[in-house]
Amino acid sequence: MPDSGYPWPIETTRLDNGLRVVVSEDRTAPAVAVNLWYDVGSRHEPDGQTGFAHLFEHLMFEGSVNVAKTEHMKLIQGSGGSLNATTNPDRTNYFETVPAEHLELALWLEADRMGGLVPALTQETLDNQRDVVKNERRQRYENVPYGDAWLRLLPLLYPPGHPYHHATIGSMADLNAADLATFQAFHTTYYAPNNAVLTVVGDATAAEVFALADRYFGAIPARADIPAAPDGRTVPATGRAAVETVTADVPAPRVYVAHRTHPFGTPGNDVATVLAAVLGSGRGSRLYQRLADGERIAQPDSVGAYGVDLAHAPAPLIVTATARPGVTAERLAAGVAEVVDELATVPVTHAELDRAKALLSTAWWRQMSTVDGRADTLGRYATQFGDPAKAAERLPAWLAVTAEQIAELAAELLGATDRVTLTYVPEEKTS
Amino acid sequence: MTLIAARPGAGTPRPYRFPTVVRRDVAGGRVVAAHLPGQNLAVAVLLLDAGAGREPVGKEGLAGVLAKALEEGTAQRDATAFALAVEGLGTELVTGLDWDSFQVSVQVPVDRLSAAVELLAEAVRTPRLDPDDVRRVRDDEATALRMDWANPGPRADAVLRADLFGADNRWGRPMYGDPESVAALDAEDVTVFHSEWFIRPGTLIVAGDLDRLDLDALGAAAFAGTGGGPVDRGGPIEVPARAGRRIILLDRPGSVQSTLRLGHPSPHRAHPDHVPMTLAGTVLGGAFTSRLNHLIREVRGYTYGIRGDFASSRRFGRFAVASGVQTAVTAPALVEAVGEITRTQLTGVTEDELAVARSWRAGQLSVELQSPRAIASALTTLVVHDLPDDYHARLRESLLAADVAQVSAAAATHLRPEALTLVVEGDAALIRDELVATGLGEVTDHVR
Repeated sequence: MPDSGYPWPIETTRLDNGLRVVVSEDRTAPAVAVNLWYDVGSRHEPDGQTGFAHLFEHLMFEGSVNVAKTEHMKLIQGSGGSLNATTNPDRTNYFETVPAEHLELALWLEADRMGGLVPALTQETLDNQRDVVKNERRQRYENVPYGDAWLRLLPLLYPPGHPYHHATIGSMADLNAADLATFQAFHTTYYAPNNAVLTVVGDATAAEVFALADRYFGAIPARADIPAAPDGRTVPATGRAAVETVTADVPAPRVYVAHRTHPFGTPGNDVATVLAAVLGSGRGSRLYQRLADGERIAQPDSVGAYGVDLAHAPAPLIVTATARPGVTAERLAAGVAEVVDELATVPVTHAELDRAKALLSTAWWRQMSTVDGRADTLGRYATQFGDPAKAAERLPAWLAVTAEQIAELAAELLGATDRVTLTYVPEEKTS
Repeated sequence: MTLIAARPGAGTPRPYRFPTVVRRDVAGGRVVAAHLPGQNLAVAVLLLDAGAGREPVGKEGLAGVLAKALEEGTAQRDATAFALAVEGLGTELVTGLDWDSFQVSVQVPVDRLSAAVELLAEAVRTPRLDPDDVRRVRDDEATALRMDWANPGPRADAVLRADLFGADNRWGRPMYGDPESVAALDAEDVTVFHSEWFIRPGTLIVAGDLDRLDLDALGAAAFAGTGGGPVDRGGPIEVPARAGRRIILLDRPGSVQSTLRLGHPSPHRAHPDHVPMTLAGTVLGGAFTSRLNHLIREVRGYTYGIRGDFASSRRFGRFAVASGVQTAVTAPALVEAVGEITRTQLTGVTEDELAVARSWRAGQLSVELQSPRAIASALTTLVVHDLPDDYHARLRESLLAADVAQVSAAAATHLRPEALTLVVEGDAALIRDELVATGLGEVTDHVR
């Protein structure tokens, strides 16, 4: 068992304005990853403002006091870099990987939109990006079979008022109602240096990065009293299963079974992670062996189980399968439920456990094989657990999970009364 | 103001060094490897001359079915035992198919690569291919394709390809086949394709810490029991452009977006204009900052994204643009996209745009030097296209040296806005009249 999942140096500092800076030097490739985690996500959105954190992420690419509209992308790509950003319920991250000689440019751009976005924000930009986001919603959720599964699962898993109750993409009605002042206030409230972690990984020294961070970010003022999101750690059990059936234009019946487990980063979540791999990763998994190969009621490419890596409330475990031709939704749902139920009653063998851990080890090292993968990981651990070095503990923690812990978790949390079942059934075709 | 207004310049450029390439003949096959000192993960790819271009017309999807059937048991163990052996090493067999090659790969911590390559070879060289299993895999593959084809895009791609290259030709049909072509395959088709193409040695690509790997042993495992030499791969195919522009409409009732696929034939991979053509494609549609995305997304808000590029294989190529646009703006989006292609063809690129395009393409070569998977992919390019060890360094130089005149000339020569086929997959009842009214070309309803 490896002692560490992060065998590279990590150096950290904190600027006077509260910005945490994390550096991990690696000279292997002439590239450097710059990553910012802002501790704001859709869990902070009040009723009527769903989708705002994500729409705001789009606005961050549209110019700031010293950067013209569209110039951000042009400068990063024009230096040979790749860039993007993502928003989820927990946080918003912004990242670019550039040839190492352009590190300073990347830091300048990030500082300018952290400290100088509001004066550059216009109604025209908001209207344009609102249209883009509405098209993103159409493309990813509305125009594809099963595309709205995640939008339907969240409110079944988390009650109204819970920070994970609504999906990050938000509702069309709320997006339509978004006004400029709200977004100006959003930036002022959350995009402060003391609410962010800057991580740089790759071909640069810590001393160099610390000096540049201080030069570009050092004068951005800290903000007091950044409001916390609603607390979602406790989700009261309803004592009854939640079931939803959707009749839609889909090519085959599909079942999603979901449970709340433990927040990402806790020992219980490590158990859920290994459990999910035993249950649903690869052809040797229980779901594949039982439903795709054994009974042959599920399409082989369709079975899977995964834990969602959310840290501020019991995180979802999602199990899914799609029916082979001639198999009903009921038969498939019963099959999936049976395999999930057996996690509590049929002990996980050494071979199953070893297989799951081997797959998780490779997945971990694959994430670590690039500077951007490492930067995002360090930013996460600094933001959510206060110390980037804790990243090294994750892989050993997975590898220490036992079969008994998996059975205990299944018995405690994966029971039928805590279960969410979402089923898609194809529409009857008239022609 | 608390922020520094002056944009910083670039620091000292790091030299570009592609890892040392090792080419070695072993056990009747060829090993091509790159040394990544200190890297904990390693990748091996077995590259076979068994791409979609090798499938007979009418048998599209054969290689995909065979790829899945490889894991249904081998001469030594059944499907479950094989899955447990592979996954017990922490890997899965990843298969890939393009027009020129078939690839099977594993990615594992470096000390497990030898065991993983042995299992890879066992599946590729000695699969059981029991006819009952093959028929079941075929049915599952046909179902998987039906699932995929329920999404917007695959049908439009197929219609575009057929119109560009002719459905009588293998390269005028979908690379992975379609649900019907796969459903019609026999178990014997699969075993014949295997014996024809999967017993030849091929090339083993290795990316990893070579100080901890034995290339001779890896090659011996990969090429054990193989025979037969290379087969002629055929020359470039001349594809005539069509005489006039046309619109093909595919009905997808209830669609909230229209899926656009625009395209025409373009040169094959070894064409001398490859670099300026790539850059012209980048300025027009290859990056977020490109003309198409700027206009259609960032100015108009019609879409979440639009991309266009020249893509090429050994024997042929195509220029294509892809997007999904809100139903109500289908016609204006199409008119403006064709307008940008036309403008680029007529007036070329500007120095500002080209500066971004060439440094982006060149810089990406540095950024892509990190992971074993990316290095293995770069080595694959060398092998499939018969390129020298220093190809990537030379490519970088020629990207950086390309000037406005060269790239504008490539745009003028290789963009053909008047010969575009415009495929629109969407709610036909809502958009047909507007498409006709654009005057972009005759509108034909696709029926099948």
